[in-house]
Amino acid sequence: MNARPLMRLRLTTAATEEIGLTPHGRLSIFPITGGSFEGERLRGIVLGGADWVTAAADGTFELDLRLTLATDDGALIHMTFTGVRDDTNRYFRTLPRFETAAPKYAFLNRLLAVGTGEAHRDGPVHTIEEIL
Amino acid sequence: MNTRLLMTLRVTVTTPQSIGAVPHGTRRTVPIAGGDFEGPRLRGSVLPGGSADWLLLRADGVLELDLRATLRTDDGALISMRSFGLRHGPPDVIEALARGEAVDPTAYYFRTTPRFETAHPAYAFLNHLIAVASGDRRAEGPIYTIHELL
Repeated sequence: MNARPLMRLRLTTAATEEIGLTPHGRLSIFPITGGSFEGERLRGIVLGGADWVTAAADGTFELDLRLTLATDDGALIHMTFTGVRDDTNRYFRTLPRFETAAPKYAFLNRLLAVGTGEAHRDGPVHTIEEIL
Repeated sequence: MNTRLLMTLRVTVTTPQSIGAVPHGTRRTVPIAGGDFEGPRLRGSVLPGGSADWLLLRADGVLELDLRATLRTDDGALISMRSFGLRHGPPDVIEALARGEAVDPTAYYFRTTPRFETAHPAYAFLNHLIAVASGDRRAEGPIYTIHELL
């Protein structure tokens, strides 16, 4: 499979909201307070959102993120991803999707992408590639 | 993006059910009659019961795919697969596909992102992997080459 870089996304998060043990596992919500993204074709800031993280019984985490991106030329992009974080195996991979009404960024509506996450002290950093 | 081959999945489809114009686009459901899959770590067949692809043709011409299939390995494990995907391309290519003609799969974009669920310990590795697939739409049903994201 071929891929090409789409963006590097840096997120800042606020204190975790611990919902606790639900029928699907232990649910934690990580509010996203801001951040930035940069790639060859788009750059801007993160307006906010959150990642709904469910811990499975086997110690892995299922991720379910929603946030809004604002490009430096004023377009808004709705971004979501589902993903997996498995700290034991150092596996942190996501499947981002994008929706926008801005014609300049309509290419985002037509692509599938994969992300590799890294946990940093001030928030996660996701390296996102377009699947060609 | 580092990947390794997980499997090649071939499904055979039956008569589509055209739901028609719905609020988000034009919806069509394609039941899956069967199929098979084969890779270095697993192989088996596709069960017809709960397997189909729920298609939505959006206003921007992009076809959204929402496939669900039950796989049975050759040693008896059941695996539930769900896969979201997108298909689009030049109008003449998409028209040729609609007519059931053989089309070079590099002439259009057909990519999916399968996820798997199983209770079988031998295949538990599937529960937590992210995969990407490229599709080759044939008249009898698509062929997916599925790669695990490493």
